Amino acid sequence: MLNDPQHYVTGVLNRDRLTLARTITLIESTHPNHQQLAQTIVDRLLPYTGRGIRIGITGVPGAGKSTYIERFGTMLTGLGHRVAVLAIDPSSSRSGGSILGDKTRMERLAVDPNAFIRPSPSGGTLGGVGRKTRETMLVCEAAGYDVVIIETVGVGQSETTVASMVDFFLVLMIAGAGDELQGMKKGVLEVADAIVINKADGDNLLRAEIAQKEYQTALHMRMANSPNWCPPVLTCSAVEGKGIDKIWETILDHRDKLTVSGEMAEKRKTQALDWMAFLIDEGLRHWFYTSPHVREALPTLRRNVEENKTSPTAAADSLLAFLYTRNGR
Amino acid sequence: MAQHPQLPKWTEIAEKQMKGKSVETLSWMTPEGIKVKPLYTAEDLEGMESANTLPGMAPYVRGPMATMYTGRPWTIRQYAGFSTAKESNAFYHKALAAGQKGLSVAFDLATHRGYDSDHPRVAGDIGKAGVAIDSVEDMKILFNGIPLDQMSVSMTMNGAVIPILAGYIVAAEEQGVAHDKLEGTIQNDILKEYLTRNTYIYPPTPSMRVISDIMAYCSREMPKYNTISISGYHMMEAGANSVLQTAFTLADGVEYVKAALKSGMDVDTFAPRLSFFFGIGMNFFMDIAMLRAARFLWYRLMSQFNPKNAKSSMLRTHCQTSGWSLTEQDPHNNIIRTTLEAMTAALGGTQSLHTNSFDEAIGLPTDFSARIARNTQIIIQEESQICHVIDPLGGSYYLESLTNSIINESQKIIDEINELGGMAKAIESGMPKMRIEESAARKQARIDQGLDVIVGVNKYKLANEKIDFEVREVPATVRDEQIARIKEIKASRDNVAVERALADLTNAAKNGGNLLEAALPAVRARATVGEISTAMESVFGRFVATTRCISGAYSSEYTGDNNAVTAIKQRTNVFLEKQGRRPRLLVTKMGQDGHDRGFKVVASAYADLGFDVDISPMFQTPEEAAKMAIENDVHLVGASSLAAGHKSLIPALIEELKKIGGGEILVVAGGIIPPGDYDFLYKAGVKAIFGPGTPIPESADKTLALLEEKYLQ
Ligand SMILES: Nc1nc2c(ncn2[C@@H]2O[C@H](COP(=O)(O)OP(=O)(O)OP(=O)(O)O)[C@@H](O)[C@H]2O)c(=O)[nH]1
Ligand SMILES: [Mg+2]
Repeated sequence: MLNDPQHYVTGVLNRDRLTLARTITLIESTHPNHQQLAQTIVDRLLPYTGRGIRIGITGVPGAGKSTYIERFGTMLTGLGHRVAVLAIDPSSSRSGGSILGDKTRMERLAVDPNAFIRPSPSGGTLGGVGRKTRETMLVCEAAGYDVVIIETVGVGQSETTVASMVDFFLVLMIAGAGDELQGMKKGVLEVADAIVINKADGDNLLRAEIAQKEYQTALHMRMANSPNWCPPVLTCSAVEGKGIDKIWETILDHRDKLTVSGEMAEKRKTQALDWMAFLIDEGLRHWFYTSPHVREALPTLRRNVEENKTSPTAAADSLLAFLYTRNGR
Repeated sequence: MAQHPQLPKWTEIAEKQMKGKSVETLSWMTPEGIKVKPLYTAEDLEGMESANTLPGMAPYVRGPMATMYTGRPWTIRQYAGFSTAKESNAFYHKALAAGQKGLSVAFDLATHRGYDSDHPRVAGDIGKAGVAIDSVEDMKILFNGIPLDQMSVSMTMNGAVIPILAGYIVAAEEQGVAHDKLEGTIQNDILKEYLTRNTYIYPPTPSMRVISDIMAYCSREMPKYNTISISGYHMMEAGANSVLQTAFTLADGVEYVKAALKSGMDVDTFAPRLSFFFGIGMNFFMDIAMLRAARFLWYRLMSQFNPKNAKSSMLRTHCQTSGWSLTEQDPHNNIIRTTLEAMTAALGGTQSLHTNSFDEAIGLPTDFSARIARNTQIIIQEESQICHVIDPLGGSYYLESLTNSIINESQKIIDEINELGGMAKAIESGMPKMRIEESAARKQARIDQGLDVIVGVNKYKLANEKIDFEVREVPATVRDEQIARIKEIKASRDNVAVERALADLTNAAKNGGNLLEAALPAVRARATVGEISTAMESVFGRFVATTRCISGAYSSEYTGDNNAVTAIKQRTNVFLEKQGRRPRLLVTKMGQDGHDRGFKVVASAYADLGFDVDISPMFQTPEEAAKMAIENDVHLVGASSLAAGHKSLIPALIEELKKIGGGEILVVAGGIIPPGDYDFLYKAGVKAIFGPGTPIPESADKTLALLEEKYLQ
């Protein structure tokens, strides 16, 4: 790994695929040196970001996210866009590695010169997904990708994290599975900008249309979270390529409406502030838990709480008290 | 009959011999999940529907024919084909002179996938693992001097079935042979291609139509021709155990029957021409029982369609010994393995058999190895005297019990498939593929732990491997020869007539009409295999597979503590700590080779060992694989090759990586690569080569060592 940040900055701005890929590796790295380097690179690239359309796509495993992105992405490159896809695989556990097979379902997009697809193992850290994906998205924008798509499986918390960093959050559903809403947290629907029932083809067409009605009703019952946008429920078939263009129109429509009303700018501002708050939270935790005093005191305190010798409140207070004494480090 | 009166006594004696341990502990759980006891008695056969039946009579457990081998032994049918039509033709002539009865043609992967030899995607595949056929001119050379009205010809073709079968028909026409004289089989079993070998062209729905069209045309024009060979072989090779092989194959069969009925045919017009193709592995009694169970089940399954003709529910099958069971290590042992498997097929009552050559884990069969393979069968037939009695193992307590267990276990899976709405739907759901891959990963884990013994691989290994026999290679000139002939044909034919015939074919694809019939004029006008495939592809589209990989199956079979595995896990963790990420590798398959077992087992096992594993789509060009390696920023690429394309594809990958700035990325290779080519590949920059049967911990250890050397110094 080269250590000169400018090398990466220049490479990314020159749209060099190799450098972009390596920059993402630095962002994803858990190594402190890499993280520092990545930070510098991202900071220098920041002025060149923000011009892309950011789309998050979530759905239960097998909903057809990758197949959908294959269609959607090739349609977009066909329209002259440059498309980056970040596929997060949360299935990996801490102990093992991951199988990253998303590109096998994005065969055409994977070889498209105007597309960049990067599957990432999340390595079991959810907070990590947030930070790394966000920075990766920015770097992709700086490399001239004007549509960035983030694929994430809707089973954990990762999807709300993703929702908080994109302009448009699309939830892909399939008909027929009644328990689906349970598998997928209700909260996801609350942040959805559109729900799309995929696999509306063959024998499944009718069921997809029924599901569409059901979700429409369900959506009507909840509070709108934007004065300018009422999330539609659409159907599509990723395999047959039907309904894909309609979804793009919807995304553009959303963008127009929110831009005109100023909501988009607000949204990005809020996201940036949320992001800062998140980073502060994370930084504080990190600082707190890695400080010598806490590291030393914590095991004993934990034991005392376990054995009922100290109350949880008292234990927490005694540790937090240390926050106020400035000689903690 | 109740328990044998002396059984308690036997138990007592046996347990005394075992120093007090219970005889229960001698039971063995097979990979199929069937419990095998140490002793079977008459009691085990009580009330068993499949025991005590007669051959040639329903339910055909003991064989489809009344006299079986006592009348005529099975047909020795060796599958062969390589490089050019001319070379293959010479090979056929030799084999026929040496006692072989039927012909069985192997095509190269470009042909399977409907590409002409001059197509840029298939540069590495021409003439490898089968013969290259681009037009009826090649077909005529292939059968030169072989009268097609007297020779039963079997063709392993599933993807490009229309141009190939049409080519065969037209080649016969031009020999002066009428359609109704043609005898043989076309594999034409597309469903299993979506499961295992991936040599399809179109999506499932139009592919099923192709099959129905072939059945309809042949039942009318070629009454002696078997229109399909419903194949379990490739499932076994992909890792399916015997129960999975039985269940999935028969379920495929039912799906074809339903498709034909739906297209308006009467069951008795086509069902007698359905044939099967089973793979025979090293579990001797299991696979004898498998063939018997399959016949029973097919009879049972067909009865739902109320056939009038007894032949409609009679399962006739071809068998092939397992290529997967052959080892690159100490390869002469393969002769013994093949002999055992051939015995299995014979005792199971097969109608025809292919025995593999012992060098197939190393290269293409030579005249020498092909002779040994052929003679394996001839010696069983003519020296061993086993053909004098029908189903000689019938009535064996053990074998009948095993037969019954396979019937019951397979039926359960078939029921499950029915619940999913039949095999086509089941395949869509991914269920059969997952089961097969899981079975394969478990098998690999058992081998790597030494629980399944493979002599020369995980036990009794040779200190020095030495190849002391000739290895056949495909000359590099094959592609040029083929391209030259395509040019010649395109220059000499009536291109207007070709265009018209192709337009008619496209029209039939779009608006209905028998596709085989519609393809014949195009073939006669000298349209190429690629042109004919494309004419239909323009309507049907080309199918893109979904690759899914299971994780956890490998390590879950890895029970007990295993130092090798634990050590590797630790090392990948150290790598993560020092490098900030896990060792990341891309496993890829380039060219048209769709055998994805090895590559998937490796992917899922390596992930279990702590690597991050990217898998590429299948059928990659070196350029595509390189782009993916760069984009995903992997440390290493593992290229899997099972179809002889390694010498062109892998060096091309390395060149491409260098060209686009990924020169740092290490490349290793795995699969069937003749040891004679190792040096060539090392010189081209390949860092390590893993032959078939390399235990995963061993290859992972070496791979990791390469990365540690490069990154952790
Ligand atoms: N019939 C039909 N099948 C589809 C459609 N979209 C996807 N599929 C199939 O559904 C399966 C899963 O598709 P993927 O694209 O891998 O789904 P995914 O949501 O990305 O899955 P994970 O990444 O594993 O969570 C595949 O077998 C697809 O072929 C569709 O529109 N119609
Ligand atoms: Mg996916």
